[in-house]
Amino acid sequence: MTQGAPEASPIPGRMAIAGIGETGYLRGSDQSVLQMVLAASMAAITDAGLTPADVDGILPPPGFVAWDEIAAHLGVRNVRYTSTPQMGGASPTAALLTAAMAISAGVAHTILVPIGWNGYSALRPRPDARPSKRRFTAAFFETVRNFYAPYGLRSAPWWYALYLQRYVELYGVPPEAAGAVALACRAHAQLNGKALMRGRPLTMDDYLASPYITEPLRKLDCCVETDCAAAVVVTSTERARDLPHVPVVYLGGAEGHASPADELTNRPDMLRLGLYEAAPRAFAMAGVTAADADFLQIYDCFTHVVLLQLEALGLAGPGGAADFVKGGTIELGGRYPVNTHGGLMSQGHCWGMNHVVEAARQLRHEAGPAQVADCSVGLVTGYGDLGDGSVAILARGDA
Amino acid sequence: MPGKVIPQPDDLTLELFQAIASTGQMHVQQCADCGAYAHPPRYYCAQCFSPRYRMTAVSGAGTVYSHTLSHYTTEPAWKDDVPYATVVVELDEGPRIVGAARHPDPAAIRIGQRVRVVPEPRTDEFSFLTVEFDDAPVSEAAAAAGEAADA
Repeated sequence: MTQGAPEASPIPGRMAIAGIGETGYLRGSDQSVLQMVLAASMAAITDAGLTPADVDGILPPPGFVAWDEIAAHLGVRNVRYTSTPQMGGASPTAALLTAAMAISAGVAHTILVPIGWNGYSALRPRPDARPSKRRFTAAFFETVRNFYAPYGLRSAPWWYALYLQRYVELYGVPPEAAGAVALACRAHAQLNGKALMRGRPLTMDDYLASPYITEPLRKLDCCVETDCAAAVVVTSTERARDLPHVPVVYLGGAEGHASPADELTNRPDMLRLGLYEAAPRAFAMAGVTAADADFLQIYDCFTHVVLLQLEALGLAGPGGAADFVKGGTIELGGRYPVNTHGGLMSQGHCWGMNHVVEAARQLRHEAGPAQVADCSVGLVTGYGDLGDGSVAILARGDA
Repeated sequence: MPGKVIPQPDDLTLELFQAIASTGQMHVQQCADCGAYAHPPRYYCAQCFSPRYRMTAVSGAGTVYSHTLSHYTTEPAWKDDVPYATVVVELDEGPRIVGAARHPDPAAIRIGQRVRVVPEPRTDEFSFLTVEFDDAPVSEAAAAAGEAADA
């Protein structure tokens, strides 16, 4: 029994990103998560030329804040639709698919998709700080507690190392391949006034001197913890054409999951991320492939996870990403610039919503010194929890 | 100082842990109808969808499927252990188990090495799963040092 893409999906082209917003990416914000999420949300609504009264759908993140408090504090009075993908860092990009379904089905017209957290301060609370009220609730945390944490594997770098070590050992992936990802993100961050790592350029020698956290992950393979929030407002493409900015049209997308999704080590192939399932479906829906993209915003919690996703997108065969990233291919000026804002690695960790915001900025041609010249199609991936994947394919809507 | 994590599972995982702790022998869930093994334990067999199962004793023998050598930890209870190696063992029966390597030179661990999962009792319910290497017998001194560090 196969599950092919539905014939003639109603989704491609019907929805567009009309507004984007983000806070700074800070090591220590004096605002609560809710305040940051509200600020990013209001910025996105205003950017779209709208007010909260125009919003009728909210797709909040899978933790930290909830839709009802967002609606109440912003003054969104008539919520017709709310829903939350539960897949960690794959959630924001997956939420675009949910939004596209709701809008193309006429269930809601203008949807706010926000996320934010105190990724730095939660781990280093100020003496007067109150704990976060709402945590993530995914079932895999139970797996971690029972089967990984007793062995000294308590958070993401240690869980993911269990499959990333297999990746580098089976395919002989050199550290310089992961380093190329870290260097590209850091180079792009030098062009971004909001990037945490602006002003701190990185060389391959710096990268190779970085100490191991847990092999194969070095400190500089890990993204930066930040306090931040980001949001987008989406609406019908038709309506977006009447709003201030060039619509950023959603051509298609998908989510995909390895099985079992709640445990890493007992999958038939531990290296087969959910993105392997999602990417072909997204390409079929959108009518384009990764080779049609002018840039790639790839979820980069860890550098090796970017390499694996490039393979899952079909840009390289298994183990082939190491060659793919050589020679500046993934830097601005190369064929596939990756994470033109600096990514989670060097801008800040906003669960990949900063990748969506940057993709929209690029396609509006508002990316300043990081602009990919004349770009018209961009690809965003999400990755979360134990390898859930999501992808969105976006296009400049001035045709 | 908080100690190392001692899991407190319920339901199926508790049954598995109790089967291991009460016998001192590695166990894995097995479908009572088709015989397929599963780990972690599940309410329905992923092969034949049967709800009937048992916890079956296994030798613990298998091969290294993956591993990581941790040079840094955020957990105070593990600080004296770095660098420590953690192994994903593919049991000969099929399921994969995460355990702590007992190896005199953890940097020499490679995929495919023959190993055995050996439970070490910690509480009435929980046994810490260790991984012994066929070609790298743990010296008595190293074993004693490991026990002292774990205590």
